[in-house]
This record gives sequence, C-alpha cells and structure tokens, in this order.
Amino acid sequence: MIKKIFLAGNPNVGKSVIFSRLTGVQVISSNYAGTTIELMRGFLKIGEEEIEVIDLPGTYSFEPNSKSEEVAVALLKEQHKDEFIVINIVDSTNLERNLYLTLQLIEEGLPVLVALNMCDEAQHHGVAIDSQKLSQLLGVAVVPTCAITGLGIKTLLGEINQVKLISRPPVSHRQRWEEIGVIVGQAQQLSHRHHTLRELLEDASVRPFSGFFIAIFVTVACFAVVRFIGETLITRISDPIFFNLYQPLLNKLSLALGQESFIHHLLIGDLINGAIDFRQSLGLLTTAPYIEFAMVLPYIISFYFVLGLLEDIGILPRLAMLLDNILHRIGLHGFAIIPVLLGLGCNIPGILATRNLESKRERFIASTLISIGVPCVALQAMIVGLLGSFSGFYVAGVYLVLFVIWLVLGTILNYFMKGYSPELLMEIPPYRIPSLQTLLRKLFLRIKGFLIEAAPIVLLGVLLVNILLYLKLFDFFTGITAPLMHGLFGLPKEAVVALAMGFFRKDVAVGMLMPLALTIKQTFIAVVLLAVSFPCVATFFVFFKELGLKALLKAALVMISVAIITGGLLNLLMR
Amino acid sequence: MKKITLVQLKEKHKGVILDIPQGAVLQNKLMSMGIYKGREVTKISYIGLKGPVAIKVGRSVMVLGYGMANKIIVETQ
Repeated sequence: MIKKIFLAGNPNVGKSVIFSRLTGVQVISSNYAGTTIELMRGFLKIGEEEIEVIDLPGTYSFEPNSKSEEVAVALLKEQHKDEFIVINIVDSTNLERNLYLTLQLIEEGLPVLVALNMCDEAQHHGVAIDSQKLSQLLGVAVVPTCAITGLGIKTLLGEINQVKLISRPPVSHRQRWEEIGVIVGQAQQLSHRHHTLRELLEDASVRPFSGFFIAIFVTVACFAVVRFIGETLITRISDPIFFNLYQPLLNKLSLALGQESFIHHLLIGDLINGAIDFRQSLGLLTTAPYIEFAMVLPYIISFYFVLGLLEDIGILPRLAMLLDNILHRIGLHGFAIIPVLLGLGCNIPGILATRNLESKRERFIASTLISIGVPCVALQAMIVGLLGSFSGFYVAGVYLVLFVIWLVLGTILNYFMKGYSPELLMEIPPYRIPSLQTLLRKLFLRIKGFLIEAAPIVLLGVLLVNILLYLKLFDFFTGITAPLMHGLFGLPKEAVVALAMGFFRKDVAVGMLMPLALTIKQTFIAVVLLAVSFPCVATFFVFFKELGLKALLKAALVMISVAIITGGLLNLLMR
Repeated sequence: MKKITLVQLKEKHKGVILDIPQGAVLQNKLMSMGIYKGREVTKISYIGLKGPVAIKVGRSVMVLGYGMANKIIVETQ
C-alpha cells in the first residue's frame, strides 16, 4: 500500500503548484529556481485513505551536489520501496534537460510516475510531446498536466496506485545524455516559430545596456506602483474608515470612561488638544490599530502585490545576473538579490531564502546585511508616513544612508571574513504572464501571515508600554541612557523607549516617536537608528535558528557598532 | 576552428565545449544542467566588467559567473 508520495523535479517546474493541487495546502510559488526552501508536507485524501505528500526542493540530479539535494537523496533512499512513489514533475517546454533527473530516478530503481507539466505552455512554444511514445521509451507512465488550471491532475491521481517498479541499468553521465537525445528525438516534435516580442524582451534583459535600462525602469516603476497603491488604499479606504466610522465610536467610549481613569489610559491613551489623535494617543484601541491597519497594512498589500508580479513574471533571476558583478564585491553573488528583495517585505523570509546560497560565509554576510540595511515593509511604511510629511527628500535620504551602509559594511565583511564567494550558476526561466488567481492567492497568503504574526505582538507591545509608562517605570531606564541618547545621537532621553520598542515591532516603535515632537534631524536619526540597530525579535530568533549562536553574537556586535557609528556620524554631520 | 573561452565567444555564435573547470562537484552539477564536454551551446550575452555570461543549452538559458565561464573552453568556427 502506498503511504507516501514524493514530488521530485528540476527547479521551477511547478512542483509547489502540483503540491497545492494534491493536498489543498496553499504554498508560495514563483517563477524562479529555489522558491521552496524546505520540505513541504501535506496530505492527499483518496476515498478513506490519507497519503502523505512531500514536496522536495528542486534538483537537477539525483546526486548530493548541494545541501538541499543531499536532503532529498537521503530521504528517498531510506524509504521502503513498496510504500511510496515518486511523482517526477517534468517541464514540457524543456523536456531534454528534465529527463536527466527522470532517468536517474528510474535507474535508482525508484517507483516513478512522470507528470508532463506546463503542457499548455509547451504548445505555445511550438513543442509537441507524444506522451504515449515517451511512456514507452521510459518504461513508466507519463501524464500530461497543467497544474495551474488543474488539467490532468485527475488522471495523475488515477495512476498513483498503478505504478510498477522497472529496472533500467545505470549508465555513465555521458551515455545518459546520449539516451536522452534519442528519446527526445522520437517523442518530441518542434515546430519553428518566429521570434516573439517576449523572446526579444528576454534577450534584451540579459544584455549589458538594454538589461540595465530595463532593470532601472522596472525598479522605478515598482516603487511608483507600490507608493500609488499604498497611498490610494490609505486615502480612499483606511483613513475614511478610521476617521469617519471608528473615531465617533471611540469618542463616546472616551467620554464614558473618563479621561483620568487607568482603563482610558490603556484603551484610548492621551487626548491631544482634547481629542483623540490616532497617531499620538498611543492607546490599545487608537494608535495600535491605526498603525497596523491604516499605515502599514495598505503598504503590505501593495508591496506584496508588486513583489508577486515580479516573482511570477520571472524578472528576479535576470536582476540577479545584472547585479552579480556588484554583489561579488561585497562577498555575495547575484542570487543574493532575491533574499534581499524578500527581506524588503519582511526580514524573516529574506533570511530563510539565504539557504539557496552555497557557503556559510555568504549566508552570514547576506543575513547580516539584511538585518541591518534592509528595512521591512512595515518599517518603510512608517518611515514614509513620518518623514514623508516633512519632505520626500528625507525619505530618499534614509534609503541613501542604508545603501551606503550596505556597500561599506559589505566590503568590510568581505575583506575580513575568511573564505571565498562561490560563482553564480543558475537557470533563467522564460518570462511568463502571471495568472491572476495564483497572484491573488499568494497575496492573500502573505497578508494572512502578516496579520497573524504582527497583530498580537503590536497589541501586546502597546499594552506593555502603556502600563510601564503609567507606572513611570521607564524613568530609571531613560535616566541611565540619557547621556548616550543625548550626547551621541542628539535625541531626547525619551527616545530610548521607542528604540527599545523596536526590538518588538519596528512599526510601533516609529509610532512611539510621533508624540515626542522631534525636530526633522532628530526624527531622521531616530528612524535610521531603528532601521540599522537590532532587527525585531522574530528576525533575531530566525537568525539564531538558521546560523547558530556564534554567528548571531558576531552579527549583534556588528549591529551595535553600525548603529553607534551611523547615529553618531549623522548627528555630527547633519545640520 | 578556433579554441576560445565562453567569455570570448561572440554573441549568437555557437561553440562546442572542449574543456570544463576542474572539481568533481562542479563538473557533476554542470553535467546535470546539460553543460559537459562535447555539448554545443549558443552564447547569449556577456555582461562585461567580469560579470556573468548567459548561454543557451538546449532549450534552457543558463547563467555562469565570470570565473567559471572564463575556464570553459569552446571550439567555434
């Protein structure tokens, strides 16, 4: 009886989409190699039975050439052969390269079922594959599928219990490629197509001049679109809801509670000029929800919508190629741009995605740079909200300072850390037109993740701070740190409370700066300090889990130094 | 017939791979991606300034770092 199904295949062939189809478990999929960084498990129900489905990270061969491949190979070798099958997912637009793994799996004596995925796209490319002929030549069942639309999934399910073991003698690498040449020659027919606009764009985006031009255009367009969607959501939806619907209710509550009561202090906070001010009152029902839902959430939505588009179109690997050169100078290679971009959403998925980098040294440099110099979207939204009200010039200034820190710190780390940076070696996927359904599903998944993880911490953080403020317990703390805050950074001593809050949630921390009535220079320095000092505690924890205590301590030392040096320098240099 | 590196190969030109950098792990990895001695590849682009090289292997586009591409020798017309 079959108890487990393993999904194996080359990177970026749609394993995650098939996984979602089989198990109903929603996972994030994109158009680049290495989206899935850990084993995903789910269950498939056929009648009364439950079969475990395991989505293996993408691999080009059944040989342990990298960490993720080692895991996949070891896992498959320890299974009992009559209790599992491997569904080998094959990209039909690229049959030849995919069959290398297929033949290796069959030669290993594993029970294999082939899903010929993306068959609709193959047709567009003028690729016709005779799946029966292919099945004959391989000796295993072959089912054409299109995971995105769900085509062929039922047939695939029907074949699961019919998989037979066959024997195919192992051959040398060279012989295997020769065999593949023969198989592809018989099972696949190519019809000639003229170059399409898409192919022209694909070519142009990996060439020196046109490539950079496209990359700059895309970057600027992305910033503009994120800003536009974010602002529109705020001015058209969230602000009207808060000011027109929610505030009248709170006014009544405020009256009923009476300004002097402790509960009023917790829930509503302080009245500013006799009225509730969502930005400054600092109450559990006022500032806390306003920050999360009216200042940050709109940007979460717009950022992840645009990131999802970039991921699914397939622009990111091309950016990686263009930036390889520069990133080599700071000890990384081109692929590191993907964790960095994910880190702009939230540092945690960014640090997790550094698993795709080969060496521990690279992972340390990338993770440290992400923790220090890549502000998450929650923090960025607050920076725009706070500094943007002075002038866009200051917002750009923050990014400039962070970029300089990146270059300087990266160069220093690259110089002093032992080891070398491996070379870039990756496949570039074709451009694809994203499916709106997949895009929205992914967006929904990420927003849900944000709400579940952020909301409770925000409420807890504001509650804690309010109690401590009420009991005046911060006074001692602010007293000791006052020389540092004032002497070095030129900030009022109360700012330390906001900086400490940054350890829980960066967005709330910026929110706590708002009632302090800082000058523009002070605000700028405080915001930069929040960005470059410790990342939030959740990122800290992931850093520790991924890279170990020693690396975390080293990184923490770097963070403290960078914060002190940058804050001090800005205070000296700015007028 | 000339023997040149992948970096030197002109854009849109074809070349047959003659030599691949040393190292069993790297060679295996390249092999599994379809890059091996005797394989014909088409150069797509070189970013310049010691940046990476893009080549077409079969139907896929592969990007190789400069150090690697500079050690891959191809034979071309």
